[in-house]
Amino acid sequence: MAKRPHGLSFGLPRMHKERGERRDFLPPLVGRLADQGAEVYVERGIGSGMGFRDQDYTDLSPLVHLASNEEAFRADVVLVLRCPDESEFLKLRPGSILFAMLHFPTRPKRVQLLRELGVEAISMDSITDDGGRRLVVDSRDVAWNGVEAAFDALEETWPDLREPSDGAVRVLVAGPGEIGKHAVEAATKLGNIERAARYAREGRRGVEVLVVGRNLTANERHMRGCFGGTDVLVDATQRDDPSTPLIPNAWIADLPPHAVICDLVVDPYLLDEDPPTVRSIEGIPQGNLDQWIFMPDDPAWDLLPVGVPSEHRRAVASCYSWPGVHPLPCMELYGAQLAPLLEALIRAGGMDGLHPEGSYHERALHRASLRAWVGAG
Amino acid sequence: MIGPATVVGVMGLSVGLPRMHKEAGERRDFLPRLVSFLDRSGAGDIVVEDGYGSGIGIDTRAYLEASRRARVGTYEECLAQDVVLVLRYPGRDVVRTMRPGQILVSMLHMPTRPERVELMAELGIRGVSLDGITDDRGNRLVQNVEAVGWNGVREAFKVLAKIHPRFAHPSRRPLRVTCLGAGAVGAHAIRAATRYGDPRLREEMVAAHVPGVEVTVADFDLTWHENYMLTRLEQTDLLIDATQRQDPTRVIVPNDWVAALPQDAVILDLSVDPYDFSVDPPKVKGIEGLPEGDLDQFVFQPDDPAYERLPPGVRSQHRRVALACYSWPGLQPRECMEVYGGQIEPVMRVILGRPIDEWDPKLGSYYERAVARAEVCRWRSARTG
Repeated sequence: MAKRPHGLSFGLPRMHKERGERRDFLPPLVGRLADQGAEVYVERGIGSGMGFRDQDYTDLSPLVHLASNEEAFRADVVLVLRCPDESEFLKLRPGSILFAMLHFPTRPKRVQLLRELGVEAISMDSITDDGGRRLVVDSRDVAWNGVEAAFDALEETWPDLREPSDGAVRVLVAGPGEIGKHAVEAATKLGNIERAARYAREGRRGVEVLVVGRNLTANERHMRGCFGGTDVLVDATQRDDPSTPLIPNAWIADLPPHAVICDLVVDPYLLDEDPPTVRSIEGIPQGNLDQWIFMPDDPAWDLLPVGVPSEHRRAVASCYSWPGVHPLPCMELYGAQLAPLLEALIRAGGMDGLHPEGSYHERALHRASLRAWVGAG
Repeated sequence: MIGPATVVGVMGLSVGLPRMHKEAGERRDFLPRLVSFLDRSGAGDIVVEDGYGSGIGIDTRAYLEASRRARVGTYEECLAQDVVLVLRYPGRDVVRTMRPGQILVSMLHMPTRPERVELMAELGIRGVSLDGITDDRGNRLVQNVEAVGWNGVREAFKVLAKIHPRFAHPSRRPLRVTCLGAGAVGAHAIRAATRYGDPRLREEMVAAHVPGVEVTVADFDLTWHENYMLTRLEQTDLLIDATQRQDPTRVIVPNDWVAALPQDAVILDLSVDPYDFSVDPPKVKGIEGLPEGDLDQFVFQPDDPAYERLPPGVRSQHRRVALACYSWPGLQPRECMEVYGGQIEPVMRVILGRPIDEWDPKLGSYYERAVARAEVCRWRSARTG
């Protein structure tokens, strides 16, 4: 039997960004909210990109209701992974809570708009434990999905890879940070456990991963020396200065023709800003959930901003949202990470009940709130 | 005489914090902040052992100032409280002195130490295994693998700095690290290795224009390949074992292969699998012929007497300077206990907040579910049906 409504209602609008965006929160998370006594309004068609039906949600509890996009936006808490377009903010009620990846530090205009509208907000990307570690993050899937795509491309550009061999595939990972550490593990498994097992079974190449940090990535002689023996170049760096590329386009000429560039950083080109932001590897296109593999003759290269050198090209795997490539495991992970946080929010009865000295999850939510961000600013 | 533990009322449970007396190098104790937290979470008496905190430079008075409920007691008094919290398992002889109904909160390593589970069941002692506390997806919530990677690598580079002829010279080539294994420990070790295990040393090296470190990672699909491995080892300054073997009876690097390493290379054992010749086939280390280290000694020169104490049958003819320590986090005890303390706070909130038999592994709160899964009786029942 469902619990009596607890007071807070949740709205789960869908993300209508691009055709390839198939992610929605899954029934287990919705069921968990209802188990806590919350009314949940899910937008019709939720989960359909991953094969779920509306009934998979409504069967969970009488507290789960189908709703229009607008109705979902009128709930007390609007839960959506990617930040809605700012034009959609007008659908939010003053005093309601927008719970999404809001990126407060890099989106001052967004913060200002939310304040003007009187909307409360909790930014998923700012939710950290007491030690500053993110609690809602999918860096593993960024790395694994990106590296998997890179090996998919490599199988196209390097047919010999399909043959038995005593040799090794050589992967160069630049940047051993949070994303890079997963990329290393993923690379040792060719981005895919089943593929690794198949390669082992068929006596194909193993993988050797070379990892370099900041103290070598700036060393042109060393890096270009490594490039000649690199089959997959993985960029997992975090630059201090995004106005300068880490790897100039000229260096790419040293990669073998069959090499694949795996872009896990996915910084955009923002040449009109001051200072401008350029891509970490110069002259590669940026992908999305509609297309993330680019062969050297892809028209995407023609869409690069004028003046960006792109003479030297190799196959590129790039996607601004790598976790979304495999939406189901991505949303399983986010659901598991969010469940205890949302339970804490329900128990607190909303923003006013969240105390900076409260429980582990209450503290984490409070630190990620717009209130705390504005207060800190 | 002390009667059965007062677990019925739960709120107001007393907590004992005994010290760890395993070896002289074990300096870790929980910090006063945890005592303050226990007080706020409804603990009754909080008994800290005389001298608690001294190994990390904390006066025992700081614990008394953290809570009016705290007092200093003997080791035995600490062990007599309703809840006994101690990082490392205190040993069977100590556990035998405890009473039915008491709760031991410790790293029990239940899957690999079934005898501990059986002993506690026999004695009626309840337990929560800190290493068994996982979230709903199986991720450990009380762990410090980052310190395993960083502490081990930092110590290895200290050794390498002494024996590598041109360690800090701008004209040397990049140092070459080979890391076996790319899992949780390996990930931190790799990152640490690109920074010499010490961000400050790295800054100094960068400022002096000394080339950095490149790390090559090989997993099981290459480590079996003798030709590849011998070539790789010939070019290795620091060899790290960060593997998690499915079969601990098989070595990854036979002792013969160690001969391929340069004479001034260093070997770092982060996996710290123990030798166990009581089983057949015996369990061995991933790199054959390494000694076992602890917090009293974790660096072994090739002529160290520790090699003579290896079990018969372990080949150790080829040696390099080796580092091994069963508890790498313990090298930085205060930082280690800050991490563990923060992770244990929500665990203790569950233990002090609700009777142990009421913890719900399915419908309880996030931490209640996690702690319930790591409770010895439930864990044992799940295994035995």
